[in-house]
Amino acid sequence: MTSPHLATTPLEGSLGGEPQGQRPARLDVVHLAKSYGTGDGAKKVIEDLTFSVSAREIVCIVGPSGIGKTTLLKCLAGLQPTSGGRAAIDGREISGPPPEMALVFQDYSRSLMPWLTVRKNVVLPLRHLRLPKAELKARCDEALEAVGLAHAENQFPWQLSGGMQQRVAIARALAYRPEILIMDEPFASVDAQTRFDLEDLCLKIREGFGMTILVVTHDIDEAVYLADRVVVLGSKPARVLRIVDVELPSPRDQIGTRALPEFAAQRTDVLSLIKRPA
Amino acid sequence: MALTVKPAVAGAAGIAVALAIWQAASSAHAAGGSLPAVATVATDLGGLLAEPDFWSAVGATVGIALLGLGASAAAGIVVGVLVGSFEPIRFATRAVLEFLKPIPPIVILPLVVLILGPTGQMSWFLVFLGCLLPIVMQTVDGVHSTDPVARDTARSYGMGSAEILARIVVPSSLPYIGTAMRVSAPAALIITVVAGLLGGGPGLGARLYLAQSGGDYPTLYALVIVLGVLGLMFQGATRFAERRLLHWHESYREVVHS
Repeated sequence: MTSPHLATTPLEGSLGGEPQGQRPARLDVVHLAKSYGTGDGAKKVIEDLTFSVSAREIVCIVGPSGIGKTTLLKCLAGLQPTSGGRAAIDGREISGPPPEMALVFQDYSRSLMPWLTVRKNVVLPLRHLRLPKAELKARCDEALEAVGLAHAENQFPWQLSGGMQQRVAIARALAYRPEILIMDEPFASVDAQTRFDLEDLCLKIREGFGMTILVVTHDIDEAVYLADRVVVLGSKPARVLRIVDVELPSPRDQIGTRALPEFAAQRTDVLSLIKRPA
Repeated sequence: MALTVKPAVAGAAGIAVALAIWQAASSAHAAGGSLPAVATVATDLGGLLAEPDFWSAVGATVGIALLGLGASAAAGIVVGVLVGSFEPIRFATRAVLEFLKPIPPIVILPLVVLILGPTGQMSWFLVFLGCLLPIVMQTVDGVHSTDPVARDTARSYGMGSAEILARIVVPSSLPYIGTAMRVSAPAALIITVVAGLLGGGPGLGARLYLAQSGGDYPTLYALVIVLGVLGLMFQGATRFAERRLLHWHESYREVVHS
């Protein structure tokens, strides 16, 4: 099922990122900078970031921990203002939480409400949209079905395993029907097997819902496996070291893709960028 | 201890021992005749229970305590949410609230009696004042402790401030409010009784005063027992309500996986 209002108008004056062939950029980040505080005491977290994400593309942002990846996402999600440059969706500058975007946080146990059941958690962000009851139910059913949690709808998040909780958080994002999905280290707190399952879920969502996805991760293998392009961040304050095009065949497969020599080459590529002293 | 005893059995045994000690002390005239025998108090208690006036006093006491508690909860939660939501107000009120909190409501009893007279209104106003501050302060703490990730989640989905307040902030403050209610419920009962005893408000407090001034020891003890039982019921009710409302909270969860 494709979102009806997905990415159509090509952007004029789109400044950001690498040229992306025919695909129009949906999310544009141009010379974005972020500091906390002002004057001499200001702490510069992000120096200068420029990249873009095209429609239906998966872009992963990797970099050493503490580099300001979460700060970047908060700026993109409109949760905090930028200090310089701009971030825009379809050319419209982001000044508050954009309605076409959903955010999945790393810490599912804090982002899911413990007093609400799985279903009520999924419905929570939809309430202010004042949808007809039937649509509310349909969206929720579809989202829970997509993450394989239809059977757990009446349980509470804390009764579920970590991987299942993160799937609830993803279902909540899906039910919101975003065109752009942003995930902040979404699979960092789950075990390896669950991590693979969730990565594949992410790929499936892009296919099934035609979503544009931006994932922040510190796991280079994960970035290469998931992404069409990997934005490698480096140095403090953060700046883009390089944007790597991942040239791996689709559909990807946990065993097959990771065994490819190209996979090893690409991950070595990214790793050497990160390991290289700034 | 290697012995395993059912809690209910141990509890009953404890009560029996307490009664035995009471009876022994009474027989030995340990308190110089001021401690009547268990049977005397029991008879007197039986007599009280058959008296319609007694039940209306119980009704007055419970009613005043609940009314005061309910009013302070309603006002306290609203004020607490407002104070907790606005940082400058929180800082501005902190010192004043901290100063007022340890002042027992009894010290303003003379003032309230002067203004309102020895009435039920006086009693419930004291209960209201006595429970208000702890509820306000706990609510403020609860609001302040709302997880920023939960707030960010709500904001990122475009939820407005009023909706975030109602759907995120208030529910996540409930554990704090629950604690305040658990502490305030017995306090409401105590304040009602003291307001009756010292301020002439209606209810069991006034009955205690009458028994005291008439030197009616058995009735005094019977009333003390009644108040003890009422206190237990108040505590039980708040615990029950807390368990129901906060079943999702870490301290009440029954099933925890992984």
